[in-house]
Amino acid sequence: MPVSAHLSSWKDARADVWQADALASAPGRVLATGDVLLNTHLPGGGWPLGALSEILQPPGVHNEWRLLLPALARSGTGAVVLVGAPHTPFGPSLGAQGLLPHRLLWVAPQASAQAGAQRLWATEQALRCADVDAVLAWLVQVRPEQLRRLQMAAAEYDKLLFVLRPEQAQGESSPAVLRLWAAPSPNGADTLEVRVLKRRGPPMDQSVHLSARASHLACVLEASGHALGRTAAHA
Amino acid sequence: MHWVALQPTPDAALVDAHAAWSWWALQFTPMVARVESALLLEVSGSVRLFGGEDALLDSLFKPNWPLAPVEYARGATSLVAFGRLQCASACTLPADALPLHTLAAARAHLPTLARLGLANWGQLRALPRGGLVRRFGAGLLDALDCAYGQRPEVYPWLTLPDVFDAPLELLSSVESASALLFGARRLLAQLQLWLRARQRGVLALELLWELDARRSNALHVDAHHTGGAQGRLVLRTAQPTQDMQHLARLLGEQLAQVTLPAPVLHLRLRSLQTQPLAGESISLLPEDVRHGDSLHQLLERLSARLGPQQVRRITLYADHRPERMQHWHAVADMAQAGIGKGLAAAPKSGANKAYFTGARGQNGLNDLPEMALYPSWLLATPLLLTVHQGLPQYEGGPLALVVGPQRLEAGWLDGDTHCALRDYYVARSAVAGLVWVYCERLSGQACWYLHGLYA
Repeated sequence: MPVSAHLSSWKDARADVWQADALASAPGRVLATGDVLLNTHLPGGGWPLGALSEILQPPGVHNEWRLLLPALARSGTGAVVLVGAPHTPFGPSLGAQGLLPHRLLWVAPQASAQAGAQRLWATEQALRCADVDAVLAWLVQVRPEQLRRLQMAAAEYDKLLFVLRPEQAQGESSPAVLRLWAAPSPNGADTLEVRVLKRRGPPMDQSVHLSARASHLACVLEASGHALGRTAAHA
Repeated sequence: MHWVALQPTPDAALVDAHAAWSWWALQFTPMVARVESALLLEVSGSVRLFGGEDALLDSLFKPNWPLAPVEYARGATSLVAFGRLQCASACTLPADALPLHTLAAARAHLPTLARLGLANWGQLRALPRGGLVRRFGAGLLDALDCAYGQRPEVYPWLTLPDVFDAPLELLSSVESASALLFGARRLLAQLQLWLRARQRGVLALELLWELDARRSNALHVDAHHTGGAQGRLVLRTAQPTQDMQHLARLLGEQLAQVTLPAPVLHLRLRSLQTQPLAGESISLLPEDVRHGDSLHQLLERLSARLGPQQVRRITLYADHRPERMQHWHAVADMAQAGIGKGLAAAPKSGANKAYFTGARGQNGLNDLPEMALYPSWLLATPLLLTVHQGLPQYEGGPLALVVGPQRLEAGWLDGDTHCALRDYYVARSAVAGLVWVYCERLSGQACWYLHGLYA
């Protein structure tokens, strides 16, 4: 009998034995990400509710909607607050992908010396509101104790909280329960590379490659790719 | 017992404890009068309604009431109750045994009465009436008759004012606007009592302040006061509220943006608009109770600190031009213009209406799958791209056109500046991933613009 088969059957039989490579079972509720591959790598199988999740991205790259939109669309009927969004959110497109536009609330503090502090303040106030389901905050320069304050507020009021930061913050310590790094794959394939920097469970050694587009767009891209290929063949 | 006399003590948290107590007492009886520093309540009409004298007194002085406890005394007539209130240690003395100084009408004659050997009401009443009138005037005898219930007692009864308007003289002149909040808090506490008594919620109120005339010059004052003779701050809420913490926070945010040219001595708070407040229904099930503020409180607080234009909600419009499909309104404007949420905006023409009914079929835009192909970020103003060898450049590299063109021709009725003749492409940038660009065909030569980012 092969050893591995023997081991796996033994593992199945003893559910009460803790296995060191297992992800922590989520202490709170989670919301599925809408992506099976990503779910398997997150503790509990989704975005944690009532906790701070941090997403780090290279400058000029915005993959937040790709990652968060399916979960936000199913998060309820309350407001989704965007604090300091980098561009104008395009409501019709978000609506067609399931996030009803009237749920959006766009808070854009004016650029000034206290813009960072005002973003933090607005984020915390939004977390304290009963009618808010999720908060997305784009924070550039933020100290760990300030993030910790947000994490406490999210835990107290049981909200989805995503903080989007530049990838330079990778080296800083953070009280976030979940930290992801997401960027387009460097090899030219149209995929999104996601690395889990911090999670409740064993560290992740390999990055995940997700399809970079929502299904509608992926279909269109593929179709046009075929068309282009045919044109090239004709020529 | 038909009368209750009570002696409100000055309360640090309130502006006018007497007014507060009279508003509170008015829910137990319509006959509340102020005599000297005391309040007199005639309660015989409502004793039965409240289930007896003791029950009525219990609810009148219930411990969870925010006002500080007061001394009170009961009596068959108002003067007896008031007299017992004044000699606090013996509030059950019979009327005959009350000392003479507790009778207001006798106070002017106290030395004379003392030399006559009179000490209490009973001895005074035993004197012959004719002589008493000749010696002390009719007032004393009338008061004595009232006190023993032989004459009716009529007072100017207090009423609950229709509009809340309370002045406050500050103890010392206040130099900074944010320090006015301490005075304003006392006024707000008073306002809360008034709102509770009237069972209304406040929608709009104004805080007025007067500058210290000796330390301000006319130039300052003219610059500071727009129009009237006072500095003024108007506060509005979207829903009627009795929540003074919320109002105090809003007031604090607004006061933080005011600079005072001279110290302030007088404050005044006035309610501008109120509305009857329906009671709040609370779910029986504990899990249905969500803790936290309501959305309108959040919006008002954010607007107050960040500025009304910085907090925005979306309205969708039926238009083919992406920048016209949506408009981000300031929340404050939406509330004033009465614009509904999201898709409820009224379509203008018949064609638009068809679009809207189609779009609203499934509570959203699910019937318009091509919308899902649009980018999720839109640039506020399209970015003009440089062209190199016929290809638009972005972030230092050429863009490869992937999908398109999608031809858009719209807005010819809106004039040249809004007219759009564009070919939209989905393009791939080596750095930024997929972007949405268009080629403007209006000017004759092709100009490339970046209009959206796929996230």
